[in-house]
Amino acid sequence: MFGMIAELAKGMGITLKHFFQPPVTTQYPEVKRPVRNRFKGRHELKRYDNGLERCIGCSLCAAACPADAIFVEAAENTDDERYSPGERFARVYEINMLRCIFCGYCEDACPTQAIVLEHNYELSFYDRQSAIYTKDMLIVDVPVNGRPTPQVVEPGVFTKAIPMMENPE
Amino acid sequence: MSDLITLTIDGVEVSVAKGTRIADAAKRIGNDIPVFCHHPKLEPVGMCRMCLVEVGLPVRDRATGALLTNADGSPQLNFGRGLQTACTIQVSEGMVVRTATEPVLEARKSVIEFLLTSHPLDCPICDKGGECPLQNLTMAHGVGQSRMHFGDKLKLDKHVPLGDLIYLDRERCIQCARCIRFQEEVVDDPVIRFHNRGRSLEIVTLSDPGFDSVWSGNTTDICPVGALTTADFRFGARPWELTPVASICPHCPVGCNTTMSTRREAMANGRTVIKRIMPRQNEAVNEIWICDKGRFVHHFADHANRLTQPLIRQNGKLVETSWGEALDFVAGKLQIDAHMVAGLAGARLSNEDLFAFQRLFRDGLKSQNIDLAKRRLAGGDVAAQVGLSSGSNLKDLGKGDAILVVASDLHDEAPVWWLRVKQAAERGATLVVANARATRLDAFAAFSLHYEAGQALATVNQLVSMAKVETDTAVTNDIVSAAEALFKAENLVIFYGSEGLAYDETDALAKLLGNLLLIENGHKHAGRVNNGLVPVWPHNNTQGAWDMGVHPAYAPGYKPVKEAGLDATAVYAAVANGDLKALYIAGADPVGDGLMPDRGKLDFLVVQELFLTDTAVLADVVLPAQSWAEREGTFTTGERRVQRYYPAIPVVGQSRPDWQILAQIGERVGLGKPAFAASLTFKDVARIVPQYKGMDYRTLAQVEKQWPDVGGEDLYYGGNAYENRSGLGQQWPVTAEKSAVAHFDVPTVKTGRKDGLQMMWTAVLYAPGTLVDCSDVIAPRKAQPVAALHGTDAARLAVADGDWVEVMVNGTAVQVTVRVDDRAPVGLVLVAGVPWWPGTAVADLKKIVAAALAVN
Amino acid sequence: MANLLLRHRDIPDLHKIDVYRKHGGYEALHKAITEMTPQGVIDVVRSSGLRGRGGAGFPTGVKWSFIPKGPGEKYVVINTDESETGTFKDRELSEKNPHQVIEGAIIAAYSIGAKTIYNYFRGEFMDAGYAMEEAIREAYAAGFLGKNILGSDFSCDFYCHYGAGAYICGEETALINSLQGELGQPWSKPPFPAVEGLYRRPTVVNNTETLANVPLILVNGADWYMSLGTDKSPGVKIVCMSGHVEKPGNYEVELGVTYRELLAMAGGMRDGKKFKALLPSGGSGPVITEKALDAPLTYEGLTPHGSVMGSASVIVMDETTDMVWAALKMLHFFKHESCGKCTPCREGTFWMEKLLHRIYEGHGTPQDVQTLESVANQIGGRTLCALGDFAINPVLSTIKHFPEEYRAKVQGSANGQVKAAARTAVA
Repeated sequence: MFGMIAELAKGMGITLKHFFQPPVTTQYPEVKRPVRNRFKGRHELKRYDNGLERCIGCSLCAAACPADAIFVEAAENTDDERYSPGERFARVYEINMLRCIFCGYCEDACPTQAIVLEHNYELSFYDRQSAIYTKDMLIVDVPVNGRPTPQVVEPGVFTKAIPMMENPE
Repeated sequence: MSDLITLTIDGVEVSVAKGTRIADAAKRIGNDIPVFCHHPKLEPVGMCRMCLVEVGLPVRDRATGALLTNADGSPQLNFGRGLQTACTIQVSEGMVVRTATEPVLEARKSVIEFLLTSHPLDCPICDKGGECPLQNLTMAHGVGQSRMHFGDKLKLDKHVPLGDLIYLDRERCIQCARCIRFQEEVVDDPVIRFHNRGRSLEIVTLSDPGFDSVWSGNTTDICPVGALTTADFRFGARPWELTPVASICPHCPVGCNTTMSTRREAMANGRTVIKRIMPRQNEAVNEIWICDKGRFVHHFADHANRLTQPLIRQNGKLVETSWGEALDFVAGKLQIDAHMVAGLAGARLSNEDLFAFQRLFRDGLKSQNIDLAKRRLAGGDVAAQVGLSSGSNLKDLGKGDAILVVASDLHDEAPVWWLRVKQAAERGATLVVANARATRLDAFAAFSLHYEAGQALATVNQLVSMAKVETDTAVTNDIVSAAEALFKAENLVIFYGSEGLAYDETDALAKLLGNLLLIENGHKHAGRVNNGLVPVWPHNNTQGAWDMGVHPAYAPGYKPVKEAGLDATAVYAAVANGDLKALYIAGADPVGDGLMPDRGKLDFLVVQELFLTDTAVLADVVLPAQSWAEREGTFTTGERRVQRYYPAIPVVGQSRPDWQILAQIGERVGLGKPAFAASLTFKDVARIVPQYKGMDYRTLAQVEKQWPDVGGEDLYYGGNAYENRSGLGQQWPVTAEKSAVAHFDVPTVKTGRKDGLQMMWTAVLYAPGTLVDCSDVIAPRKAQPVAALHGTDAARLAVADGDWVEVMVNGTAVQVTVRVDDRAPVGLVLVAGVPWWPGTAVADLKKIVAAALAVN
Repeated sequence: MANLLLRHRDIPDLHKIDVYRKHGGYEALHKAITEMTPQGVIDVVRSSGLRGRGGAGFPTGVKWSFIPKGPGEKYVVINTDESETGTFKDRELSEKNPHQVIEGAIIAAYSIGAKTIYNYFRGEFMDAGYAMEEAIREAYAAGFLGKNILGSDFSCDFYCHYGAGAYICGEETALINSLQGELGQPWSKPPFPAVEGLYRRPTVVNNTETLANVPLILVNGADWYMSLGTDKSPGVKIVCMSGHVEKPGNYEVELGVTYRELLAMAGGMRDGKKFKALLPSGGSGPVITEKALDAPLTYEGLTPHGSVMGSASVIVMDETTDMVWAALKMLHFFKHESCGKCTPCREGTFWMEKLLHRIYEGHGTPQDVQTLESVANQIGGRTLCALGDFAINPVLSTIKHFPEEYRAKVQGSANGQVKAAARTAVA
């Protein structure tokens, strides 16, 4: 009985301490609170240094997604119109942010590390339609030394969809 | 059953037919021996080495031949020296097979490791990924890691077009030769082969154009990896994203069971579209194969040109209107003197549509003027009496049986029948082919009777009269020998078509052949299983149209009407001379087909169609109908199997099912409320058509276990064709099965043929037309207008190969290319790729000089 | 003893039919056709103990007796696709003593009731082939081939066919496929050629040298032949000596001589170097070392030493030979010649060559040698034909007999692992 009262007093003590501390309010959106490194925010579709898209349109992210938020439609690359290495690229890539639960399974499933959940958490929409993020919205800017896609490339250079597989040792 | 052999596989005893291979025997008891190169429908080769097992044979005493036993009484077994391939070794009595021992599992592991050393492992982008035998067997038997350095891997071409339709990925190929063997053994189109050797072994095509076979798509189904992909589906979707919907192929009277794989597409504005068509197993119809037309010609269903709204003519122009207005208007216009109104239907419509069509005319408008728009082949009434008996399966025909094919090129008219007839001939059935020209079936025929144009009936008559008596005349020619073979046959199946024949001639032909089946030879053929007549109908549901009474002289169920109405030929004449005021055309394009030049003196023309066809542009009202992919219904095959198909894609625009449109017009002319669903219309069919008695959508959807297993967990065994879970259909019994059938009176036919060089229309699989034109992928294979003629005729007419000539088809001049081909008979020009015309016509070839061609 | 098969070495111009006949040629055929029944011929050949000289050593008479009796087309096919490394006996026979082979083949055809003989030549054997074609013309002219041979009702035709250069076509079923104009790939037996061979008819496939023995047996009798050689391996054999010997070439010997005697016959080691190892059967048999040199040249003689006589093409290697290099050379040959039909051989030889090449180049690791051995064992006994087993023999046997050379290669580059990793990155 006595122990219970002691515990209660201890808890109330903490409450009392905070009662006298000044309030902490971050002035969002003027001030943005930094996020942790492993924070999972809005997805980005990455590119290689030369500007080619990492995404090969394999739909494994869509398969892994527990919320059925991702929709992918693939098409075939040609050397005159190349989006990604290998034969296949994502012609359509959409994520429904209303459905997404930011679990990161899509990241795990991706064989080319094309989809990464980054640190942007500012996701708000006025209607359902604008909650669907298309490929244009998700893909990152072309790197400094890269070229935008589709690219015209030399035949026979980008033949592998999954460019380099390390020797498993 | 003396030819059963009992063996033990992993302790389980199984009895199988003599000659069965161990892998197949094991499959029967659910023991899945992994295989890559083996396929139950191909000859075994034993080259992938995946199926290695331990095989023990009972040891016999050399002197006495007695079985030796161990001390404990069990038979002594000799397990040979090593592992053996389960796919090549035939079972033998007392054999003991072990499939789960350490060496066997180790061998499987090592074969998988070997296969993966040169496999690109690009499953994420592979069309087969998710339904891939190699993937599945790697998960089951492979090790997780490769010991091969990734840098040591061979890099090969990944985008090799074998033809317009099939692509090869050389890195993925595991050299199992299933595709090569399928093309060679099953369909006799050996157009792809191995080239080079060792690790450089690759598949190449030997034909020009590449992979020139109408069966090429099937190789992608049986390919155990993603090496072969179709141009149509390439990167189309991942298999697990697809929704399978059972369907029936709408192209020819075989009625192949198919599965449409559908998926919602952003590129189609969120509509669900057909991504691919795959075979669905029905061992009595198409086994696990379909032709490339069935596989690739489906794009018309969701084509942008589809009609989406009813159209009505106002001030000379067709403008969009509402259904209510259009239907009211049509109903009003049709209620005139019953003799002044007629209806023509296409044989692509479902049984429900055709039933509603005849009901509207017979019961609603009291008119008997209904017929199929294209009168090409008669004999539905004959087939109803002596047609192929219910329960028949062409797969059961073999030694001692005979097949007669008259006036038809099955390869292009009904490819899967061609395949099954060819296989029956290879199993030993006597094949007799009678035609005015050489066809591909001749290569398998015991007797090829090539008659002169116009002599079809005379030839068949001779054949039938010869078959009546045991002849021992001194004259022995092919006809006599063929007649004898037919007479002696245990089972007899007859296919007949309309090549080079006028409608009346096909009627006489059907009756002649019917009489052949009625000849007594200890047993009558008609009415017995695996015997009977099969008309090679021009469309997929011509059989259903006959059954439903879309015929001026027959009500549903072949009940003769008191006073026959106008047939299609008479209708076209009446349109021209003003004897008809109103015409209703459903699912047919007589103007485009050259059967009706224009709307003549019609007051009112209504067309119910998918597209704005040549006929539809002339109409007063155009009613948009739904394609077979958007709704459910039934088709009846030439073997009279009623089969059900299911809705796969959402409705295009405001289009409605044909039966519903017709019933809604019927409601307006006093036929009562329309049925709510196709299934209810079919209930009416089953009530009124005696042959369909007892059928309903539930019975048509019944399935039973089929052999070999396909499409299930064991993709590696039978391939990727779909398992049949949606109905095997029901074959309705012919009269001869239940009661005696009297001989048919064969009418004498006056052909009115004129002398001179004749020309004959021949069927081609990819004939140009609305449906084929909508599939871009098949465009390079589309038949061009061609006139093939013998070298002698070409010399006489002074035309050369590649020349352009003008021929008259149904009164219209058509330009065709000349092909000098000595396979064409002398005196007969074979014209393909142009609209059909009945019988033969005098060939009046006008050579077009280059200058005139340039102007055109 | 005088040469029995290589008689042309003693008799000049033996390839001409009159010279051949002068020295007893075609007497055996005459005897067979006029005095013996087909079954009688088979019995004599069977009791002579003659075994296949192509390498497998299957009793010839037994093989002939498997051909079903009765009517219907049957074929005799002569296997002159001599593609084994270091083998050149059939070439000499066909070129210099063709009539003895032709005579043997006609006797074989008579005994099994075949009307057609095909001789499948290795594509490169133009000279030998033309010599034999000339001999065939002579035989036709003399009435030993063609219709009604020697007045009997036995008729026989003889055709030569040239391969397109594939080792695998020495395998009988691949040879038959190639002869039919198909890809030279073996098929999985059964069916055996004796039941379903050329054009799906019963077929006997015999090695050239085997058939050259047949006339001798018929003339001199089975007992005489049995008296030559050893009990289990009677008769004579041509041995092809090559490699580091003073006098390479074909040597006809009675079976049972030791390998040491063979070495001496070939003039001993070249330049007086020390013997290191020899391949007793071209590339396809495991190597043997000094220890096995006293083994007899018989079908069973090398069994205790883990090797085989095979086609008796002995490749001798002296002390300067790098055994890893030798294994790589052989393996490269088999990888190049693998037909690609079955998985273990197609993929395994490709992989093994990559591994062995890396080891030879000094980029390998001890792990690579282990993998090499393990891959070889994954091929062994699991392939469709024997080529897979042949391919692993030189590798496994050199690893067994000369492990220190492999060790030196992988330790020679202590940083093998690093180099290997670097290679991967570059590729």
